[in-house]
Amino acid sequence: MKKVLGLALGILTAIGGFLDIGDLVTNAVVGSRFGLSLGWAVVVGVIGICIFAQMSGRVAAVSGRATFELIRERLGLRVGVLNLGASFMINLMTLTAEIGGVALALQLVSSVSYLLWVPFAAFALWLVIWRVKFSIMENVAGLVGLFLIGFAVGLFLLGPDWGELGRQAVHGVSTSNEKVSTYWFYAVALFGAAMTPYEVFFFSSGAVEEGWSVKDVARSRANVLVGFPLGGLLSLAIAGCAAVVLLPQLISVTALSQVMLPVAVAGGKVLLAFIILGIVAATAGAALETTLSAGYTIAQFLGWSWGKFRPPAQAARFHLLMIICLIVGVGTLMTGVDPIQVTEMSVVFSALALPLTYLPILIVANDPEYMGEHVNGQALNGIALIYLVIILAAAIAAIPLLIITGAGQ
Amino acid sequence: MTSNTGSEASRWLDAQLHLLDRQVLDVDGVPVAVVDDLELSEVLVGQEIPIDTPPPVITALLSGPALATRIFGGRPPESRMQRTLWVDIVEIDVVIRLGVGRDILDLAWTEGWVRDRIIGRIPGGRHTPQGEPNDERGRS
Repeated sequence: MKKVLGLALGILTAIGGFLDIGDLVTNAVVGSRFGLSLGWAVVVGVIGICIFAQMSGRVAAVSGRATFELIRERLGLRVGVLNLGASFMINLMTLTAEIGGVALALQLVSSVSYLLWVPFAAFALWLVIWRVKFSIMENVAGLVGLFLIGFAVGLFLLGPDWGELGRQAVHGVSTSNEKVSTYWFYAVALFGAAMTPYEVFFFSSGAVEEGWSVKDVARSRANVLVGFPLGGLLSLAIAGCAAVVLLPQLISVTALSQVMLPVAVAGGKVLLAFIILGIVAATAGAALETTLSAGYTIAQFLGWSWGKFRPPAQAARFHLLMIICLIVGVGTLMTGVDPIQVTEMSVVFSALALPLTYLPILIVANDPEYMGEHVNGQALNGIALIYLVIILAAAIAAIPLLIITGAGQ
Repeated sequence: MTSNTGSEASRWLDAQLHLLDRQVLDVDGVPVAVVDDLELSEVLVGQEIPIDTPPPVITALLSGPALATRIFGGRPPESRMQRTLWVDIVEIDVVIRLGVGRDILDLAWTEGWVRDRIIGRIPGGRHTPQGEPNDERGRS
């Protein structure tokens, strides 16, 4: 059990990154429109985030430095500020959406309008950040979030034609009349959703919170290799469920309830209850992840004292900043914006900000001054450089695709 | 560039690479600032420097509201920059460690202000998150 709990950081990071409210819906949208033909984008993203997170986790374990301190050191102030601005906006947008996501999930259970749940959800999140120990937070959110395995169970219960799903993954959906640009928009969105920078901020800062040292390099690797592939598998399961139930019926996904429709068909009320609980935990986990990341990025950039392992009074500006972020998030939601649309946009922006976050980590992971003997091996550097090219391509393509496709409409 | 403490005289430091934008931790390992600028001992500007003049040494690290000026040019008034004396530094590694506590330094007065006026007044603000021993562990 202790071993399992030792992986909670990776699991929570991945669930918060892959299965937050926007990704839950995006995966179902993709499944219902493209079947599993975009499965490859998830796989490419999972491998990418594994490499990226493993480098940042190893840097944090060996040098004790979290990602954003290094971004300022290695990119300098000007480019660093640019990255800070972009990353902070992504954090804030995702955070806003996740508060809405928790509220939407609670609405499904309670039939009380989600807007009434928003302040309550935000307050509960703040309490967790204020008072709950980091390890308890990650264990509870991570493990309950695992209830989303219900999507994989649902897919099996649906008893699909696996051959057909395989054909979709390899050859695409023949009946599909989607535009090529829309296909690539969703490819970038899925890639960006897998490789959101806040996952890396959270993972590396979490490693510092947990006091990882050189001894924990193997633990970092285990966290990465279990957490992220699991997250990717669950995203594929969601897309698979949608591909089996919604695609043939030409049902288009616009709301959270439709994401769960296939599971209800497959497993009835019991499985549905598990899924809803999982969604509450996953969105709450993502909200905590992004709120803390918002604090981590600014505090690390400006050299403030930060961390949940300190009493709030010893990281005063860090805590004040997170309170302000939560209030801004609640205020934004109260204007009635659609939380799901907010995160779909933020995913595209994260593809845009990714190169500026990835490059400094790659540089520092090769710097013996920081890493001693734990610098990147040649094989890892080879793959990491290939990914640098992919990341740059996604970043360049993100905005044009967003405009051409009207955000995938 | 040499330091005036003498202990690290054999080590080369690149101001841009090793000093600027580095995190400064106090004696307890708590982050207090990031280095924005350096203060050098007197350098004669616009005059011919005699051959036997000793090279300038770094007297202090400066931090403060330099974000805008470092991006757009210019410099904030000297009074607004907080000085960390070079002699207070005990180690320059991937972070800069000081031998003194943050309260003596008057670095980051905003941190103290926010703590005393806002965060410290919210219930639970001065306790370590539940269940954790009060460890000010400061990563090393």
